[in-house]
Amino acid sequence: MANDRFLKWAVPLLIFVFLTQAYLSSKLDRWVHPAPFENSKAGELDPKIVSSLRAAAFLSGYKVLIGHAFWIRVIQYYGDGFNGSDHFSKLYDYCRLASDLNPQFISVYTYGASVLAYQLNRMDEASKLLQKGILANPNANNLKLLLAAMAYHNSANYEREIPFLEIQIAQGNAPTMLINILANTYKKAGRTDDAIRLWLQILKTTDSDVQKYEAAQKLKELYAISKTKNSLEKVNP
Amino acid sequence: MKRIFHVTTFTFRELIRSKMLYIWLLSAIVFCLLAFLLSILSFGEVHKIFMDLGLVGMEWSGTLVLLLSLAVTYNTEFEQKSIYLQLAKPITRGEYLLGRVLGFFSVISLVVLGMGLLIAGLVAFVGGGQVSPMFFYSSVFLLIEMFVLTTLGLTFQMIGTSMVGVVLYSMFTIFLGHCVGQVEWLLNQNLAPAVKTVLRVVHFFLPNLEAFNLKDRIYDPNLIFGWEQWREVLLYGFTYSFVVFLIGWINLEKREFM
Repeated sequence: MANDRFLKWAVPLLIFVFLTQAYLSSKLDRWVHPAPFENSKAGELDPKIVSSLRAAAFLSGYKVLIGHAFWIRVIQYYGDGFNGSDHFSKLYDYCRLASDLNPQFISVYTYGASVLAYQLNRMDEASKLLQKGILANPNANNLKLLLAAMAYHNSANYEREIPFLEIQIAQGNAPTMLINILANTYKKAGRTDDAIRLWLQILKTTDSDVQKYEAAQKLKELYAISKTKNSLEKVNP
Repeated sequence: MKRIFHVTTFTFRELIRSKMLYIWLLSAIVFCLLAFLLSILSFGEVHKIFMDLGLVGMEWSGTLVLLLSLAVTYNTEFEQKSIYLQLAKPITRGEYLLGRVLGFFSVISLVVLGMGLLIAGLVAFVGGGQVSPMFFYSSVFLLIEMFVLTTLGLTFQMIGTSMVGVVLYSMFTIFLGHCVGQVEWLLNQNLAPAVKTVLRVVHFFLPNLEAFNLKDRIYDPNLIFGWEQWREVLLYGFTYSFVVFLIGWINLEKREFM
């Protein structure tokens, strides 16, 4: 009896509550998904892998997780010396996909653009990547600083490039590679003492043996330059 | 109220005794190690990656505990017929179901919040980083999602006729619930009206789990997040749970225990 009475009012109540939740669900659309589905080209990557990754990221609700996992793949790609034979031709496409999956992950832009611009000399791709990063993260000043530094680097105006790199490094959280770039730029600009200071700092702070070796080599080279410079100054004061 | 509380405490004790918290311990270890490994491999933003993966770990461990609890309790309640004992007491079937939902939710909350505290503690005290308020908001949204999923899972338990079926229905609904975001995106595309109608119906039937997915949008500069959004998400979460709860209740009332 109680069962029948319950079923009599439960069904109309169910319909009413269902319609309410449908209304509330439609209201959620206003803020839950304002961002459009990004669809940049696969480039040199396998389109099947690109579309599978995108589908997994967008459909599973784990976009950030898949973005971070793919970022490790990007680092592996650049770390594999074998890929150097074609000058890491897929690096830009890798970074573009990583940034599609996780547009708010700043390291993709700073690391990717630094490698493309300073190590591989592919300025166009580096600036395109940074522009994408700036549009996705309007508050990320370090991306704007890096873009400005790269523009001066492209025109070999090292004295103007240095302050942009210095500010970015002073802000903290800059990739170690960017500190190396600043040290090399000091050398190019003829500021040997600053370069020595920075390489010494890298030597003291880094945990990587490879980087320690690189810093030691650079210091050897810079001390030799400094010595020559000093002896020249003594001859021609 | 007292009767609901008794069912809740009984369910809570039942789940704790079934060693469900070992899953929490296991997932906490696995996810923390995984998050640590990925964050040190990532060249910068270590804390950010650790917290992002921690939030994923919280969701996965909560979901895992829910699915396993559903499987374990289906076996004891329906196959070993211990539901007979419970329903023989002076308690309505609605009260029984609500008590079960709250009991399940309290165990899942324990797992999710425990993991959240562990992640935040590791970031703040071991890593020396700062835990952003959005991490806590995301954790609360995860709890609301878990409440919806718990109600849904228990409703499937009332409808389902086998343990495998209950777990599979729940798993597929969780997956499809996350696809709702793309259904919304499709609805804004140029599609045939009939397809749009079907998609709209699907959209209203499935739980919009993307509404609770704040973890993917923590750093989004376009994210609008204020009191109004809290209110809308909470209202939606509880209304959807109530719809599902009513379906479960109706099914339990119709079910004959012979």
